[in-house]
Amino acid sequence: MPPAASVTDDNFDHALALAACARGDRHALQRIYEQESRYLLGVAMRIVRSRAAAEDVLHDAFVAIWSKAHSFDAARGAARGWIYSIVRHAALNRVRSSARESTLDEPTAAAYEASAAMAAWQEEGDTLDRQAQLGRLGQCLEGLEPQRRECLLHAYVDGCSHSEIAARVQAPLGTVKAWIQRGLRALRECMQ
Amino acid sequence: MSADTNNHLPPDGDSPDDLQTLAGQYVLGTQDAAQRRAIEERLPHDPELRAAVDAWEQRLQPLTSLAPPQEPSPGLWLRITASLWPAAEPQRAAAGSAASSRWWHWNSLALWRGLAGSGFAAAAVLAGVLVLGDAAAPAPARYFVVLAAPQSQAPGWLVQAQAADRLRLVPLGSDVVPAEKSLQFWTKADGWNAPVSLGLVKPGEAIEVPVDKLPPLQPNQLFELTLEPAGGSPIGKPTGPIQFIGRAVQI
Repeated sequence: MPPAASVTDDNFDHALALAACARGDRHALQRIYEQESRYLLGVAMRIVRSRAAAEDVLHDAFVAIWSKAHSFDAARGAARGWIYSIVRHAALNRVRSSARESTLDEPTAAAYEASAAMAAWQEEGDTLDRQAQLGRLGQCLEGLEPQRRECLLHAYVDGCSHSEIAARVQAPLGTVKAWIQRGLRALRECMQ
Repeated sequence: MSADTNNHLPPDGDSPDDLQTLAGQYVLGTQDAAQRRAIEERLPHDPELRAAVDAWEQRLQPLTSLAPPQEPSPGLWLRITASLWPAAEPQRAAAGSAASSRWWHWNSLALWRGLAGSGFAAAAVLAGVLVLGDAAAPAPARYFVVLAAPQSQAPGWLVQAQAADRLRLVPLGSDVVPAEKSLQFWTKADGWNAPVSLGLVKPGEAIEVPVDKLPPLQPNQLFELTLEPAGGSPIGKPTGPIQFIGRAVQI
């Protein structure tokens, strides 16, 4: 679901807000929160799969954004991406260090959100809409073999580990790892 | 490449292809906790890996738009500010001159900003404040504890143990607690199995807690305030994030 224009300000300057955070401007952090929190919480919830855990992730991520704002370097990437990366990695570290892995063999867990990433992909509307939203990445993903695309989406969007993906796509672990490696390589070549 | 392509963490000096795969997998998030930690430790001093990770972050970032937005609960922002700035802007400064003049030095931003930087070394300074301070202040405490926010180390509350049978918990600012949450006060000495609840605390209000049912206070005894569901932890043990924490110092 694309951000609704009525809720967010497309002209919001994330880099400016981070620079203000680095100078100790608390309102700048609040502006980032007002602008992005609902999307960041959505990203975290897909990965950690519980609202309470996702809110904990967002809490820790905003504390980190405030304390690391001075280290943001625009030469290394866009400010909005920097903020999203902090949230995603906080969510990923949380699920990887927890015991979620152990519950995955349960049939209910396997059925749970079985094809959530693919469903999201399909619900996103037709190819043209998706390409408008995802740009070159959307085109390159369309060009991948469906299994490889599915593995990459389960990983990035749903925060699945290799073994979780293997359970979801019902393929051997080694095969899934190979699909992901080849998918990544193809994606990088396509986007060059 | 075989279907059994191995996936261990390559050593420093990987081929450009290995480096790209490693960086791509890190950004995808498929590795286990140990592999992720190994990469995060390498990033600060491996510019090539960092550049590869940065590039993958940028390539894949549009996919974050596939996650449907979720409205955060109203208290989340307050929780963030309470963690970052626990002693921020005391709102009761204008409220009652008697109380505010008595505790004026606890509300002195200059004092607390100075102490916040020095973390638990603040204890020593505080001992001086307690002994040399306001003549109207009670006799020096036998123990006291500075409760500081875990992240920022900013002091938020003070525990004074002046008598054997009671503790006094004094706010150093006015924290903001979400409407559906309560602050709960706990203590645990070395050798206890679990923390013991000392009751609920209202932000910005001093309380006295009887402790005659507890063993005598010990040096280094742990005190903390956690954010719990309204009415307190349902299981008698801390369940929520620690807002302030500190250990008893004998004076």
